[in-house]
Amino acid sequence: MTRVVPYLALFGAALLLPLFSNDYWAVIGARAAVYWILVGGLNLVVGFGGQLAIGYVALLTLGAYTASVMVARYDLNPFLSYGAAGVVGAIAGVIVGLPALRLRTFYFAMTTLGFATIVTQVALAWQSVTGGGIGLSGPALPAPFDSQWGFYLLAVALAALVTRLSANVAHSRFGRSLVAIRDAEVAAEAVGIAKPRLLATVFLFSGACAGVAGGLFATLQSYITPEAFSFDLSVTFFIAILVGGRGSILGPLIGNIILTLLPEFAAPLVAWSTFLYAALLLAIVLAMPGGIAALLDFRNRRPLPANRSIVPQPLRIAGHGTARGAIELKNVVLAFGGVRAIDGLDMTIRPGEVHGLIGPNGSGKTTTLNVISGYYAPQQGEAFLGTTPLPHGAPQARAALGIARTFQTPRLIGEASVLDNVMIGATIEGRASFLESVLCLPRHRADEKRLKARAMDALATVGLDALADVRADRLQHSELRFMEIARGLILNPAFILLDEPAAGLSGEEIKRLGELIKAMAQQGIGVLLVEHHADLIFDICDRVTVLNLGRELAAGTPADIRAHKEVVSAYLGA
Amino acid sequence: MLAAILAAGLAVGATYALIGITYNLMFSASRVMSFTAGQLGMAGGVLGALFIARLGLPVIPGFILALAGCALIGVVTEYVAVRPVLKALDQHLYVLSTLGLALMIQQFTAIEWSTEPQPFPRLLGLSTTGPWDEKFWLPILACAVAVGGLEYLYRHTLIGRAFLAIAEDNFAARALGLPERNLRIASFALAGVVGGLAGFASGELLLAFFANGAMLNFLGFVPVALGGLGNNRGAVIGGLALGLFQQAANFIVGGVFASVAVFTVFILVLLLRPQGLFGAPVARRV
Amino acid sequence: MKLTRRELALGTIAAATIPAQARAEAEPIRIGWLAALTGPLASPSIGFDRGVRFATDEINAKGGINGRKIELVVRDTQGDPTKAVNATQEVISRFKVHAIWGPTNSGELLATTPIMARAKVPSLVAGVVNSLIDPTKYPNAFRVTPSNIQWDAAVRNYTIEKVKAKKVAVVADATGYGTAALADSVAGFKAANIEVVYSATIDPAQPDVSPDILRMKNAGADAIVAWTVSSGLAARLMNARAEAGWDVPIVGHPAMGTGEIGKLVTKPANWDKVYIIGYKSCSFDDAGKLPARTQAFVDAAKGKFPLNDTSLWWVVSGVDSIRLIAEAVEKTGSSDADKIIGYWNTLTNWPGLYGTYSFSTTEHNGFHTDEIVMQRANSQHDGAFALAPGYA
Repeated sequence: MTRVVPYLALFGAALLLPLFSNDYWAVIGARAAVYWILVGGLNLVVGFGGQLAIGYVALLTLGAYTASVMVARYDLNPFLSYGAAGVVGAIAGVIVGLPALRLRTFYFAMTTLGFATIVTQVALAWQSVTGGGIGLSGPALPAPFDSQWGFYLLAVALAALVTRLSANVAHSRFGRSLVAIRDAEVAAEAVGIAKPRLLATVFLFSGACAGVAGGLFATLQSYITPEAFSFDLSVTFFIAILVGGRGSILGPLIGNIILTLLPEFAAPLVAWSTFLYAALLLAIVLAMPGGIAALLDFRNRRPLPANRSIVPQPLRIAGHGTARGAIELKNVVLAFGGVRAIDGLDMTIRPGEVHGLIGPNGSGKTTTLNVISGYYAPQQGEAFLGTTPLPHGAPQARAALGIARTFQTPRLIGEASVLDNVMIGATIEGRASFLESVLCLPRHRADEKRLKARAMDALATVGLDALADVRADRLQHSELRFMEIARGLILNPAFILLDEPAAGLSGEEIKRLGELIKAMAQQGIGVLLVEHHADLIFDICDRVTVLNLGRELAAGTPADIRAHKEVVSAYLGA
Repeated sequence: MLAAILAAGLAVGATYALIGITYNLMFSASRVMSFTAGQLGMAGGVLGALFIARLGLPVIPGFILALAGCALIGVVTEYVAVRPVLKALDQHLYVLSTLGLALMIQQFTAIEWSTEPQPFPRLLGLSTTGPWDEKFWLPILACAVAVGGLEYLYRHTLIGRAFLAIAEDNFAARALGLPERNLRIASFALAGVVGGLAGFASGELLLAFFANGAMLNFLGFVPVALGGLGNNRGAVIGGLALGLFQQAANFIVGGVFASVAVFTVFILVLLLRPQGLFGAPVARRV
Repeated sequence: MKLTRRELALGTIAAATIPAQARAEAEPIRIGWLAALTGPLASPSIGFDRGVRFATDEINAKGGINGRKIELVVRDTQGDPTKAVNATQEVISRFKVHAIWGPTNSGELLATTPIMARAKVPSLVAGVVNSLIDPTKYPNAFRVTPSNIQWDAAVRNYTIEKVKAKKVAVVADATGYGTAALADSVAGFKAANIEVVYSATIDPAQPDVSPDILRMKNAGADAIVAWTVSSGLAARLMNARAEAGWDVPIVGHPAMGTGEIGKLVTKPANWDKVYIIGYKSCSFDDAGKLPARTQAFVDAAKGKFPLNDTSLWWVVSGVDSIRLIAEAVEKTGSSDADKIIGYWNTLTNWPGLYGTYSFSTTEHNGFHTDEIVMQRANSQHDGAFALAPGYA
């Protein structure tokens, strides 16, 4: 509950402002609120999703013109015109945002700038509707919103609403997924996050916010012309988020207030204001990438206990109810350039068994794992789950089939808590739609409760429950390995693919890992274990496949492998 | 009239191409797309006008000083906005750091130089006019010289091959014992020179104007998008095509619609072929 | 002098304890001056600012108006409509100004005019956009410059009557102002039965305009009417006209006479035959003399600030505005909004430095049309220009 205190303080202060000041501060305050309505939505795109939309003034422009045209030319009720602006903003948000699915950071940033230019030019050229360079009046509100304070209170109320709604999104599986595609896109795919749909939804939401903000902006300005929508304004929105800190709502909220108020207190510096914002951006990136949010994150500054240890409690694992048979590779071939990374491999991973996969570097172990988890499509042969072929090139479809995985280098979301990192694993099990999450309806709350409980169970299983609230980038390497396993376990998987989970672990930790893996198998989970630690493999595996140059060199029980002459001479160094 | 459109189109196109090459040079040394590319072009024009027209230096020393100034800006970019973020895990930070630096350069110029376009000196003082005027062929010549020079550098000099090695595989190059950091600084200096050359050669055409930076940033990026990242020849073709398209659109549909057309084409090309018309798709990374 | 909030608050407390009459006399007359002092649109405001400060200092040196000093509350808006809205509300609500002068760009004025009207603050408008003046909607706003209708008519009449053009080419820059001015101008020529053979907006960044010029030439235009505040575009038009070996006059916006153009034209001769909107008060006659009133001002101002780097009409317009406010307070003995507005509504042929003004309750476009003349763009001296041919 302490989480809401700063918001209550800020908005409480906003409600008290009229008692202490004059209309001037009403205008400045309303401006900060209106900008926040845009920035709050954009924050999900930039701060959470990591999509660098620097031309968002395009949506403000569209919203402002839509609302103004609706009122001036069609005599629409001004409040309805804000709604229309929101709808247009939402649609345009998706159009502006869609290139993000195909384009990388800089390219996407450039396309948003392109949209901003196009919108302004169209506003100039389409004189019969927009008034061209002369512009048109913004929507005028009826009493009591026609006074500066009336409008201020309306804007503050909407800003509070946007804060709440965006916080709902942030603390839902959608918000966590956004951060996941920002910081760990590969892991996001592995847990079944569908990036196109997620981004389209979020662009829709933030576009609607920007559109409504545009309508309010037109009322605040009382009259709009294309000059009012400058690139500097767009940059200010963007910088407010980064100054505030990515992945936070409070930080950008404070950042937005500071950037709106600063020029009013520093009148002599007005000529240098854009220069100073730019310098601030550079300084933040170089010196304080966490922004204001990192400054305010007192909890994560407390030192963690130094002598902590990971003690798994493997009794809490639940098996996957609906196992559909074994994972089977049949004659799989995959070549990169001229090199055959996998060259005709047959392999079966059965539920309830630990299957070891060993071999020298470059023998195709991780490639095999990537074929099963869908990152690579086999050029010949096929991978099956039971009797159905696993879809090619669709890693995000594996989670739904109960196949989880970990990575050679842990793919963590550093700025999120350990708990959030684990909850990401069960994203596909959320039942609430985006709209239900935005509005915090019962199904969303039930989702959160259920996933949180399961994540705590998974963390307890791997022995990290004491660190649930800690930011993931503060964990030690070995802890991250167990965290990734927890992220897989929360899915109640039928299969889990572990890519060198023992790398970097101490002897004691490897022993505990072994017990954990055995316990998983006992609950019916099929485990594929890619590993270099021969001792671990022979201790816990039911079956072992030895790869060399993409082919099976030997396969069988650990005892068979130990007796296999070639393997012994080549790898085990008897 | 066709001659006039061709002359202006090729001239601005060559300028865009040079800015595209500036992007490429910085990218191949660091995997960073820098917003300062267009500002270098602006700085080339402004510094040229400052040294020659305002301070009265002869053309050759003025030219050398302007390029040296731009090389310095390139190196500063490397020091301030690129090196600190290369180590960061987050791939996005360079977009923000270079954006910050580029805006600082632009605002500083606006305040300390002028917000009005300032005259750029006549370099050769030839009495030609019309489509054969020096203001049209100087950028084209500069582009040809830059492309030729870079080809020579890459093929026939040791440092050029080292550049290529870095561009090909950063880690391998470092493993071979190449001074990766120094080569990166050199690449940024070279990028500064090429960007400055773009601005200097097109100074008579575009004038010494602070807002040219943002304009060149965008229109210089289009050749990169069209030609494929890191592909200088693609950038030249893309730049010239863009210049011709833009000038033709200016005269056929007029100012307002022309920029809509240019930006629409840009977005469509990016969406349909994100790897560029001449580029190959990038392999994925797990 | 700038007021801090604290001083203002103390002033209010002190004021409450003394009789109303005495208070009014002691209280300074606060004038909000919203200027674009920096940024790309700064040149006019810098000129206005000199006049504003000159007139203020002059009045205060004489002891003020009825013993009340004038106090300027200056805000730099940078020509940005959002900053202008903030600044307008600030001078109204925080500094409680008695009258406002500015802002000076149309995009800003369109946004701030309704705000000033809501607060009923007397305001003097220096902007040409027609819709800024509406005595019913904005009874507090009085225009002290020509409107675009007047500008447009001046250019059109000169083009038709003095240049004797039968076919005109109309161009404008692709900005908000340009697109609007182009539409008005083309409509005006068509209404006057003059053939518009070419009309286009041109991107101010377009590096070469010779194809535009060639098309105008091929269409047989007798004159080019140009509406642009971009010195780069204006100079390119002049250079391209010369390169095409063409010498029809260019008629239009005053910005074509700024000193920046002189630096950008490739030959000084390219600037010939360019005629810009100007004012009788700031024109040299054939003998090279300014009107006596203006000359007296120039003599008084010499040495106080430079005259050569700005247009004189901006300076004198700034002077007139301060004097208009001061006179209203002096004559009515009050700085109440109603009194000031009421006084301005009675002005007939008020002789200013910049022009002669007349207002009534139904007409707030006060600038007399016959004060508008055309000038030679390249004849600037001390901020004033020579009359264009045809006025002798």
